[in-house]
Amino acid sequence: MKKKKTRKTTSRFSLFNRSKNRSADFAEEMSTQIEQAIDSTDGIDSRVQKNIDRLKDIMGNSHDFIVREVIIRTEPFIQAAAMYIDGLADHTLISDFIIKAILEENHPTGDVEPAALLTTIKKQMLTIANVTMEDDWKTIVHSLLSGNTILFVDGIPKAFVGETAGGEWRSIEEPTSEITIRGAKDSFNESLLTNISLIRRRIKSPQVRIDLFQLGTLSRTDTVIFYIDGITDRRIVQEVEQRMKQIKADKITGSSYVEEWIQDQTLTVFPTVFNTERPDIVVNCLMEGRVAILVDGSPFALIVPTDFSQFFKAAEDYYQRFDLSTLIRVLRYFAFSVSLLGPSIYIALITFHQDLIPTTLVISLAAQREGIPFPAFIEALIMEVTFEVLREAGVRMPRAIGQAVSIVGALVIGQAAVQAGIVSAAMVIVVAGTAIASFTTPAYNLAVAARILRFAMMFLAATMGLYGILLGLIIMIAHLTSLKSFGSPYLSPFAPFYPKEHADGLFRFPQWLRRKSEGKTFSQTERG
Amino acid sequence: MEKASINPFQLFALMVLFELGSAIVITIGIEAEQDAWISILLALAAGVAVFMVYSYLYKQFPGHSLIDFSQKIIGKYPGWVLGLLYMLYFLYIAMRVLRDFGDLLLTSTMPETPLFVINFFMVMTIIYVLYLGIEVLARTGEFFLLLLLLLGILANMLILFSGIIDVNNLLPVLGNGWKPVFQAAFPLVLNFPFGEIIVFTMLFPYLNQGSKIPKTGILALVFSGLLITITTSMNIAVLGMEIVSRTTFPLLTAVGKIRVADFLERLDAFVVVTLVIGMFFKIAIFTYASILGVTKLFNVNTHRKLVFPLGLILLLGSVAIAGNFSDHLEEGLDVVPYYLHMPFQIYIPFVLLLITIVRKKFSSGDIVGNNDAQSKTQRYQ
Repeated sequence: MKKKKTRKTTSRFSLFNRSKNRSADFAEEMSTQIEQAIDSTDGIDSRVQKNIDRLKDIMGNSHDFIVREVIIRTEPFIQAAAMYIDGLADHTLISDFIIKAILEENHPTGDVEPAALLTTIKKQMLTIANVTMEDDWKTIVHSLLSGNTILFVDGIPKAFVGETAGGEWRSIEEPTSEITIRGAKDSFNESLLTNISLIRRRIKSPQVRIDLFQLGTLSRTDTVIFYIDGITDRRIVQEVEQRMKQIKADKITGSSYVEEWIQDQTLTVFPTVFNTERPDIVVNCLMEGRVAILVDGSPFALIVPTDFSQFFKAAEDYYQRFDLSTLIRVLRYFAFSVSLLGPSIYIALITFHQDLIPTTLVISLAAQREGIPFPAFIEALIMEVTFEVLREAGVRMPRAIGQAVSIVGALVIGQAAVQAGIVSAAMVIVVAGTAIASFTTPAYNLAVAARILRFAMMFLAATMGLYGILLGLIIMIAHLTSLKSFGSPYLSPFAPFYPKEHADGLFRFPQWLRRKSEGKTFSQTERG
Repeated sequence: MEKASINPFQLFALMVLFELGSAIVITIGIEAEQDAWISILLALAAGVAVFMVYSYLYKQFPGHSLIDFSQKIIGKYPGWVLGLLYMLYFLYIAMRVLRDFGDLLLTSTMPETPLFVINFFMVMTIIYVLYLGIEVLARTGEFFLLLLLLLGILANMLILFSGIIDVNNLLPVLGNGWKPVFQAAFPLVLNFPFGEIIVFTMLFPYLNQGSKIPKTGILALVFSGLLITITTSMNIAVLGMEIVSRTTFPLLTAVGKIRVADFLERLDAFVVVTLVIGMFFKIAIFTYASILGVTKLFNVNTHRKLVFPLGLILLLGSVAIAGNFSDHLEEGLDVVPYYLHMPFQIYIPFVLLLITIVRKKFSSGDIVGNNDAQSKTQRYQ
């Protein structure tokens, strides 16, 4: 037993060490072809033509790999070559500030030392903002693939790397999944730099820290973690960094990939990482001492640590009056309970506890159910599954045909099913009410949790009635309290109960009242 | 012992849920007839005193649970045996409470379900939660306490508004003199529910602020005691002495009488919720204490290994301890208080207290001092 334990810890330790040594890791996991191509070259040649050939070789003569050869001067002959990837680099930048600069500047005459030439080119000729010198092929290839321009010059065994990343991105548009009436109308897009600037613009403080990680051995996706120095607990930042380093994927094509790697527990229906497409929400979270993770190519930022109540806070809450926001928030919790328990309570009442229903209602229900061939549970299951199918069809269908689905759905679920005597009208009301209630949860991934658990609750209600539902609730709450998100208890303002945090938890107090508790940020609260 | 810590509010929540657990739904102190509330208050006062003894003992050996300090006080082997007896006692009471619960649920809402099935589902839930540990149990308790209080306030308001309270049912006060009041309070009400708080001596070491134990415990006892008093008086006021003394489940009957504005009626579900949640915590705490003790006595490295086997024993025991409900009730009224509750809740702790005080006097605090140092190191490990 003891042996096993030690072995486990050492292996984990070595894993950790390895991931720390990132350049070694990189060489190890690069696909073999590129690796060999890069390894066979030993440094950068001083002849331009040779460098071009090598880079072409590494890139496998790719179609979009562009080489632009220019002659700096003829006596003595000095050639230069600019290389970039078509589409990743900005054409205007390259032609105006690299090619034009080289061709039009007054070149030094007579014999020049390579060192002098280098300084001249860098300091007097290249007019692009950011130029670095590189002599490592791996770095050169990586910056080429990031959209930068590589410039080789005869006689200089180094490469100029000009920052020309550009190309086409979706413009900043209105958020589609978190809509507000009065709030900011911008949302993230797929460009990491744009997203960073959206956040930076809102917090003009030098305390904002941004750390870069490159994830995915093949995709090399830029990922940054955002936090505010002095507000965010160092331990949380370290924990995030450590988990980010342990990601061993070959590709990261969205923030959900990162989420699955870093989340605390996989075997749960509840999300332990929050995501948002709104920069203003990210700023709020950073101010509360949380860490934001932005992934290049994904319009959704991840927020850790998070808690259950955060998924009930809509962006709109902070832009409306506090009284309305508070009432709406309480309403959301209520709607969440309905979407979780609606059908199961109905099943339990109809199947086991008819005596708990007021007499007039029970008579009307019994009359409705008279011709129905199924027990309440099967009836509810049919309706719920039909609804899930319709919902899925509505989401996957091309928008043009979506209308047809909703018409068919309304007919099938509604009138026709009742008239055919397959389901009772009361069941249609229950299922429809449940569905509408489930749309009030601002966070889609939490609404999904209720959607899955609803079926478990229905099953419990069908076997044990109200008692089964209660036991299911106890298990659910116990499970929720056992969850942690980056070390902080998931159900936190409720259990452990922190009354002060309900200023922005179950309720939303006015800003001036909250200011008092704002000194006590997320990080400083004592957390189990 | 698992590495966990709970805060005073969580301990408070667990204690209140534990006390209310079964006492709020069934009748206690009914031997005093309409003076049941006086009996309960008397027993509450005595219960607070008994709790002071437990917390005094813990104060002498901070960081040590009941079975640890009993070994320190009466020696290693006798203490071990006493610990084992306590563990059996806790497990047996857990069985009894589970049986109570199963039978109450059967008679009140699910008359056609077999007892075994009801108990099976309850034990499965308890196994799951206890497997997750004391922290999870405590936080779940916190959550449900708030829920139950809301429910309780609502139910009381509705009873008030439906105008079914008849204060005359509570009169005359002390119509039969003090004797029946005392007879009801001691030992029955003292033992159940107040004396049962001894089970928390197993959980004290988990509290992150050990010095707050007396305050938290007394607060929880008084709070839950008052709630029980109010509920019992309310039941009697609504139903009258006649009905209360005949039903096993008076709260259900009382709440069933609620009728407000012609549509708020049949709120029995409130009572079922209270019953299930309260009983869940009561059984879970007894079982956890027993599991924890066995883990320590037999040096098992984690309590998780024992959750399932002891849960199974609990389930089978709960069905097997009595042939039928009336046997079960008879044992509960005639045997258990005198031969189990009194010794384990009152006599043994008092003997331990005496030994501690005597040893403290004669050894000029030496042993206690040593223990303090040891316990401190143990706590920080």
